[in-house]
Amino acid sequence: MVGMTRKKTFIWLCIFLLPNLLGFLTFIGAPIVSSLIISFTDWDLLGEMQFTGFENYIRLAQDPDFWVSFRNTIFFILGYIPLVLIFGLACALLLNKQMKFRAFFRATFFLPVITSWVAVSLVWKWLYNPEYGLINYALSIIGVDGPQWLSDPNTAMIGIILASAWKDIGFVMVLFLGGLQNISPSFYEAASIDGAGNARKLWNITIPLLAPTTFFVTIISLINSFQVFDQVMIMTGGGPGGSTEVMVQNIYNHAFRYFEMGYASAMSWVLFLVIFLFTWIQMKVQDREVN
Amino acid sequence: MKIMWLLSLFFLVAVISLVGCSSEGESDGSGEGGDGNGTTEITYYSFSAAPNYEDVLADIVTAFEEENPNIKVNTELAAYDDYFTKLQTRLAGGNAPDVFELNYENFVQYASKGTLADLSGFIEEDEDFDPSQLNQEAFEAYQYEGKQYGMVESFSNVLTFYNKDLFDEAGVDYPTADWTWEDELAAAEKITNEENNVWGTYAPATMNEYFKIAAQNGGQLFNENGEPTVDTQENLEAMNYMVDKVTESGVTPSPAEMSGQAPADLFMNGQLGIVHTGIWMFDAFKDASFEWDVALEAGNTQKAHHFFANGLAVSADTDKKEAAYKFARFMSASDQVAELRVENSWDLPAVNNDEVLQPYLEQTPPENREAVFNALDTLVLPPVVKNWSQINDVTNQEFEKALNGSKSTEEVIKTLQSEYENILN
Amino acid sequence: MAMENSSKALVYQNIKSKKSKKRRPIINKILFYLLLIGGASIMLIPFLWMVSTSLKPDGATMVLPPKFVPNEPTTQNYERVTQQFPMMRFLWNSIVVAVLTTIGQMIFSSMAAYAFARMQFRGRDKLFLLYLATMMVPTQVTMIPQFILIKQFGWLDSYPGLIIPTMFAVFGTFLMRQAMLGIPRELEEAAFMDGANHFQVFYRVCLPLIKPMLAALGIFTFMQSWNNFLWPLIVISNQELATLPLGLSLLQGRWATDWGLMMAGVVISVLPILIVYLFAQKYFIQGMTMSGMKE
Repeated sequence: MVGMTRKKTFIWLCIFLLPNLLGFLTFIGAPIVSSLIISFTDWDLLGEMQFTGFENYIRLAQDPDFWVSFRNTIFFILGYIPLVLIFGLACALLLNKQMKFRAFFRATFFLPVITSWVAVSLVWKWLYNPEYGLINYALSIIGVDGPQWLSDPNTAMIGIILASAWKDIGFVMVLFLGGLQNISPSFYEAASIDGAGNARKLWNITIPLLAPTTFFVTIISLINSFQVFDQVMIMTGGGPGGSTEVMVQNIYNHAFRYFEMGYASAMSWVLFLVIFLFTWIQMKVQDREVN
Repeated sequence: MKIMWLLSLFFLVAVISLVGCSSEGESDGSGEGGDGNGTTEITYYSFSAAPNYEDVLADIVTAFEEENPNIKVNTELAAYDDYFTKLQTRLAGGNAPDVFELNYENFVQYASKGTLADLSGFIEEDEDFDPSQLNQEAFEAYQYEGKQYGMVESFSNVLTFYNKDLFDEAGVDYPTADWTWEDELAAAEKITNEENNVWGTYAPATMNEYFKIAAQNGGQLFNENGEPTVDTQENLEAMNYMVDKVTESGVTPSPAEMSGQAPADLFMNGQLGIVHTGIWMFDAFKDASFEWDVALEAGNTQKAHHFFANGLAVSADTDKKEAAYKFARFMSASDQVAELRVENSWDLPAVNNDEVLQPYLEQTPPENREAVFNALDTLVLPPVVKNWSQINDVTNQEFEKALNGSKSTEEVIKTLQSEYENILN
Repeated sequence: MAMENSSKALVYQNIKSKKSKKRRPIINKILFYLLLIGGASIMLIPFLWMVSTSLKPDGATMVLPPKFVPNEPTTQNYERVTQQFPMMRFLWNSIVVAVLTTIGQMIFSSMAAYAFARMQFRGRDKLFLLYLATMMVPTQVTMIPQFILIKQFGWLDSYPGLIIPTMFAVFGTFLMRQAMLGIPRELEEAAFMDGANHFQVFYRVCLPLIKPMLAALGIFTFMQSWNNFLWPLIVISNQELATLPLGLSLLQGRWATDWGLMMAGVVISVLPILIVYLFAQKYFIQGMTMSGMKE
């Protein structure tokens, strides 16, 4: 009897998992393994590959540009992740309430996600313009001398962070909205009976029960922001003076512009290890919270 | 939830039929090499036709197919920014287009990696073609180690574009052929009007500009053997000239002042007295709301002008080299193509035939179109070094540091010298 | 049984919450709407600029400060963009690719997610970690091996080449797994008690409960596929099979770009996503418990 159910369960498992697993292994797994192999070669895309052992990785350790882009990427993440998480959740909570024109507002907050980066970047460049940009104008009203934003190496990355967070809030909001729907209202009902206020409900019910969504949003934002690239290319191209150059830009340059696919692959695998480490820590923290 | 069933069913049917279709497509495609009628199908991959010249290219292809009824040309287009990513992927995947476009700066990289077919043999045997039909500098640019690896189709250069209205307002004489850096600076200072956001002159502070400005001062970034020689007095003066226009005299807008606008936008808005840009902008500036013209570039100790070229190369892997060569030669040397190019102002054909080029000179604006040809007397080619893109990127980055004052030009020159040595080691 | 009780509690709770809302002071309400309107306008500006630029005539579209109201609005950019390209063809290709990718992704990833979230098997969490790990390698270096693979399959220049490799994106499996983790175990156990098999539990219990997340996945996959540029760029050579982003990229010149034309193209390409979003949005509004009970 037990053997039967086990066998049955196994068949069910195959039915559910196998279609995805096969596609995954073929179209995602195999190319990734190839890139790992390439990272131990000197492949220039056009000629023959030659194994060079750990040469690429040794070169990487001594490549100042790589570490600069690494530092810039970390800086981006430290600014971007808290911003999108907090504002994304805030927007989701705000727009989950009863209100007039709710569908309209929800659509509006999603608009930046579908607006093209080219349009976004132009408008933000204008907002950041030190002379007649709105941001520095607003700062001047409260008596602050605004920075040069995108043209100052010290503030350029902050500029990119703000614009990126603004654009992605809608994305995070939709995920949180989806997560909020999964919380049964009966929990709030019980809390109301216990006389809990809104803040208590948020802290004791919403946040703990949103944990699977929060975990998802954090991991995805982390992975995406480690691979930040498009907006940097469009807004600053890595400048001024390399102050906003990020890791994937470096990888792209080496892969497709400098004919060093082997080296680019090695960079990607170091990037992989870093993201993996962060994700793993995140998972451990999550496990502890659940227990 | 019934809808999920329907969707799944629909999906299944669609996928099966698609896979079916594509395998059919495959069997159709297998005859690509040449079918019963002896027709050869070749693929031509181009960046210069998008976005404005697709129709012209289609006409050219039709003309070619009429002349060569046994060759069929499929065209494939990409924007310049995406072009090389795709080309490299296809080359790496063993799926290269038979004949493709390469600009001069990229040509050397591809030739040196053995991806291009040697066309010398075809040219020798070709009775209809003589290299003298083409501009010699342009033709020879596509040689590598003494062999012809590409056929030049068009070339262009950079001139001084100036807004006559702004010159008149400031009471400054128009640029002349023997202008010097000092003349340009003096004029630019008079035109600059900070209150109205009008600046005297603009030239990019990049590697592409730098090697030319250095040449205008008798400098050279790399010697004949390709070794870096940046750290010299001439090159430092050239860099100072470029940087001081932004940081000292303020006749050129800083990156912050531009805030993402292209120099061409500023020029079109009437905010620039002079812009140094390529003759490819003739068309875009045609509708400007002010009078403008072009002049030769100012020099310091000598004159120097950019030279850019596009050409066609044949893949080393293709087994249809002859057909591919024929098309490359047609794009390069045919008078018919040259006429179509001139007529539609699609670059300047590299042919020597004055009759074909005459209509080009007659178009206005600008009045002074001869400058395009006069500039050829003093042209300077981009340095031919390995890892050109990397050197380019490093230089541009260092220029940004010089512009925002975080590094002095002396320091930048020193950094560049050592970075170049590192990259080329 | 437990389900019915909780649904009654819910109805009661809904009535009660409506009453309590009415008691909210009017000042709060005004502040609330001010906040909303302020937020919404910050979100709207670049989109409006995009639309207004697409309506501007030729010439200087890039001016600072930007003009939001075109002097003489014109639809010429829209006419040109549809004339210059087989726009309908591109739209059709994009729709085929995005719709099939989205459906495939929703089916395969929710099925795998069920296995990862609701079934026990050896190495489950390790396998899932492996899934996650593959998201961490940038596409820039896996693209070429993937291209060679597709070439071996004979799928270059075909719909399957565009659709199938993107259908197994880990994002979907991950999102669906997280959504399914939140389902109370009692619901599932009750169904098994009634003699349901795994498929019935998956189909009748889990899927209805995660509808909001399924809708979110639908939007994101559709959007991802709709905007995907790099993969179609290298896979597609035949213009007949080009998707919208490929077509739009051709509007970009090497030296100068006609922004009005470009933005017209972008607006056309963004509208379908907006429609899909508005369609899927109602699933976030709909509460989970209510819809869960009905089926």
